[in-house]
Parts: sequence; structure tokens; C-alpha cells
Amino acid sequence: MNKIKAFSERNRKEILRDPLSYIFCLAFPLVMLIIMTIVDTSIPKEAVTVFHIDSLSAGVAVFGQTFVMLFTSLTVSKDRSGSFLVRMYASPMTSKDFTIGYILPMFIISTVQSIIIYIASFIISFITDVGLNIGGMLISLIALIPSSIMFIGFGLLFGTLFNEKSAPGICSIIISLGSFLGAIWFDADSIGGVMLKICKVLPFYYCTKSARSAIKLDFGADIFIIPIIIVIASAAVIGLLASLAFKSKMKADLS
Amino acid sequence: MNTIETKNLTKKYKDKTAVDSLNLTIKEGELFSLLGVNGAGKTTTIRMLACLSTPTSGEAFVNGNDCIKESGEVKKIIGISPQDTAVADNLTVRENLEFMAAIYYTDKEKIKERINKIESIFGLTEVENQRAKTLSGGWKRKLSIAMALISEPKVLFLDEPTLGLDVLARRELWRAIENLKGKMTIVLTTHYMEEAEHLSDRIAIMLSGKIVACGTLDEIEKAAGKEGKGLEEAFVTIAESGVSANE
Repeated sequence: MNKIKAFSERNRKEILRDPLSYIFCLAFPLVMLIIMTIVDTSIPKEAVTVFHIDSLSAGVAVFGQTFVMLFTSLTVSKDRSGSFLVRMYASPMTSKDFTIGYILPMFIISTVQSIIIYIASFIISFITDVGLNIGGMLISLIALIPSSIMFIGFGLLFGTLFNEKSAPGICSIIISLGSFLGAIWFDADSIGGVMLKICKVLPFYYCTKSARSAIKLDFGADIFIIPIIIVIASAAVIGLLASLAFKSKMKADLS
Repeated sequence: MNTIETKNLTKKYKDKTAVDSLNLTIKEGELFSLLGVNGAGKTTTIRMLACLSTPTSGEAFVNGNDCIKESGEVKKIIGISPQDTAVADNLTVRENLEFMAAIYYTDKEKIKERINKIESIFGLTEVENQRAKTLSGGWKRKLSIAMALISEPKVLFLDEPTLGLDVLARRELWRAIENLKGKMTIVLTTHYMEEAEHLSDRIAIMLSGKIVACGTLDEIEKAAGKEGKGLEEAFVTIAESGVSANE
């Protein structure tokens, strides 16, 4: 346990001391939250509901999680490309210690990020005079846990499989897919058709949908229960795949 | 007593043999240098002894533990400073040491004691609050070796410890390594003749994955017919003639 704690602590410090992590993981989502709120106040209320703060906050929280994925992949791929992991492989650390040691600090960072985004959303809700339910926000924060693990899993997977030049590129694709096909910036259900079908193929749509429904205290089967089950299953699969990939790469490195 | 022993240790990568039937014994407390040109098999040998690479055939033992079957036990008693400085860039010098210490120890007092001791050995106290990425090459190497020593290893592997350092930083690091002599078994790889000559109790010259000469400086010079001419002369003679001068 002390090994995991020590490695988590190292990873946390490495990320939090990189100014870029604040720009991407915090400043950028908050700027998007403000810009989209301004857009929302500039257009008729009924025109686009996705920019109302009760929808927007959950979308931006998922958007922020995609950047945590990026920094997870950067940390892992950078460690793998240098001699740092060689030193660690010669220590008594196991692949399980490494995997948990990478996931744990990223999960804490992701949770704090979501809390900050929700606090900002709460402040905005006062300014724009739109009510946000605190209970709904707290439940939504819990609903964001599986998506957080899923994105961190993606980061660990890409950081393990690709080098430090390729991994961020692959993550950029996921960030774009997550933003568009996660229906963060548009209402996929209103658009319907092929677009909605494509959105429903990938897990990102369900991440946004479950978090949004929770914030509105709407726990219907179609809009919360099924989406959250899909996200939990996706998180489990991606997390497991990432762990197996790391274990397999570690074994190959030591062969 | 032998701390390290290999029996026909071999490593092949597809059709290339990196290490070829290596038979080696290194005594407790000895500073043993593996000397050779790039691609001679020095790093591969160290990697196998440090359980970082699985031999294709043969056996390797560290402190009596099999490097393949008992790698967990071996890892508890070794420290390694890889060729590139393997430090956490955004952590301070002290945090790097704390991090490594926490991997091996749970007692906070013990961790503090080890860090203070290691910092004083390497003179790291003056830079302890500096982030690793801001250190010069020499300081980074010192930190890298210090991190390898935090667990009080019985065997220390130093892979090209002074590679890329200027002459002053190299000399300073030599002094630090000399201070460790006798306190643990040290296996050092280098392609600097002067370094091997200056630091080693015994030297093995590796060429194309094989040890072609092994012994003290005098023994190697004698085997090459270059008594008193220095290691470089002996090395060139052995390398060019392919003379086998094993102990």
C-alpha cells in the first residue's frame, strides 16, 4: 500500500506542477462554461436548451474529464519513453501498484475539477437567475465517477500503447469525439436521425446524459438508469483493458 | 563470497546475440567494471542481473537468489541508476528521495534518516529544494545514484554513470562512487577507459557480447602484453587481436 501511495503522490505532484494541466483541465472548461452561458443569454430561451446552465454544467464537466485523459496519457507515455519506469521496474513495485498509482491521483484531480466546474455553474446560475438544485449537483457528481474512470482508463491505455508523441494525438481524437458525439455542445435527442444513432454507439453520449439527468433530479430508466449502467460497464471494460495492456507491456519490457 | 554469479548467461534478440554465454563471478564489496564499446552487451548484462530482462538461456544469481525464479527477492537488495537520468522532473531533489524511500520503507523516521544520510554523502543538501528538471547534468546523475542507494542495496548497478558529463562533474561523481567502495558490491558499465582504470577493483572487457578479458588492471595489461602501458593500450590490443585473456 505504501508503494501505491508513494507512486500516486509522485504522479499527483508531477501533474499539478505542470502549468499546462491547469490551463487545459481547469481554465479551458471554465472559459467554455462562461462563453456558452453568454451564448445562452444571447439566444431565445427555447431555441437551444443544451446551453442552459442545468444542462451545460454536466456537459462541461464531461468535457473537462477528457483533458484529464490527455494528461494521464502524457504522464504514462513520458514515463515509458524515458528511464524512469526502468528504475521503477527494478524496485519491488508490481503492475497493480503502477496501475492504481496512475489512476488514483487522476481520479482525485478529475473529481476536484468537476466540483470546481459545478461551483462555477452554481455561481453562474445565480447571475443568470436559473435555479440549480444542490442535491441534484451532488448526485450528478457521483454520476460522473464512472465516466471519470472511463476517461482515465482511456488515458492509461493510450499512454501504455503509444509513445509520448502519438498518445496526445490519439487523445485529441477522443476529445473531439467526446465533445461532438457526447452531445456536449448540441442536443442530440432533438436532432435525432443518424446523428443520434452514431452518438448512441459510443459511451460519451451516455456520460453526458446521465450527469445531466442527475443534476435535474430526473432518474427515469431511459434518461438516467440505462445510460449510467452503460457508462459503468464502459468504465469497467476500458479500465480492465488499460490494466491488462499495462501488465502486458510491462511483461514485454522485462522480457 | 560471490555476490554475483552467472553461468552461460545468454541474451538473443531474434538473430542477434547481445550477450553470449557469459560466465562471471563478482565478489562481495567489489567494484566491478564492464568495459566495452557501444553495443558490446554491457547494458544488456546489467539489465539481466537487475531482473529487467529475461535471459534467453543460462543462469544469473544475485546474493544467491536466482534472477529469474526469485526476481522479487533480487529486487529487494539491488539499486540501479540507468543510463539516462531516471528522476521525476517536477519533484524537488528531496521529494525524489522521499518518493524512492517510501517505496521501500514505511517508518517515517527511517525515511528521514536515510534521506539525510544520502544527501550528506552526495552533497545534495544545498539543492534539496530545487526541482530535478532545473539541475545540471552532474547534479542529476548524483541524484539518480542517490535514489538508487536510498534502499541500502547490497548491489548497485551503475549504467554509464558519467556519460555526457563534463570533466569536472565526472571527477566529482568519481569521488562520490569511490566513497561507496567496499560498502556494497558495485557493477559499473562504461566505455571510458580512464573511468574503469580509476575506479575498479576488477575489469571485464566485453566485445560482441563476450568477455574477452577479465581481471585487475595489471592482469589485463599483462594478458595483452602491455604492462604499465595503461588500460587503453591493453584494450585496443585485446579488441583488435581478439585475444582471449579470461581469468
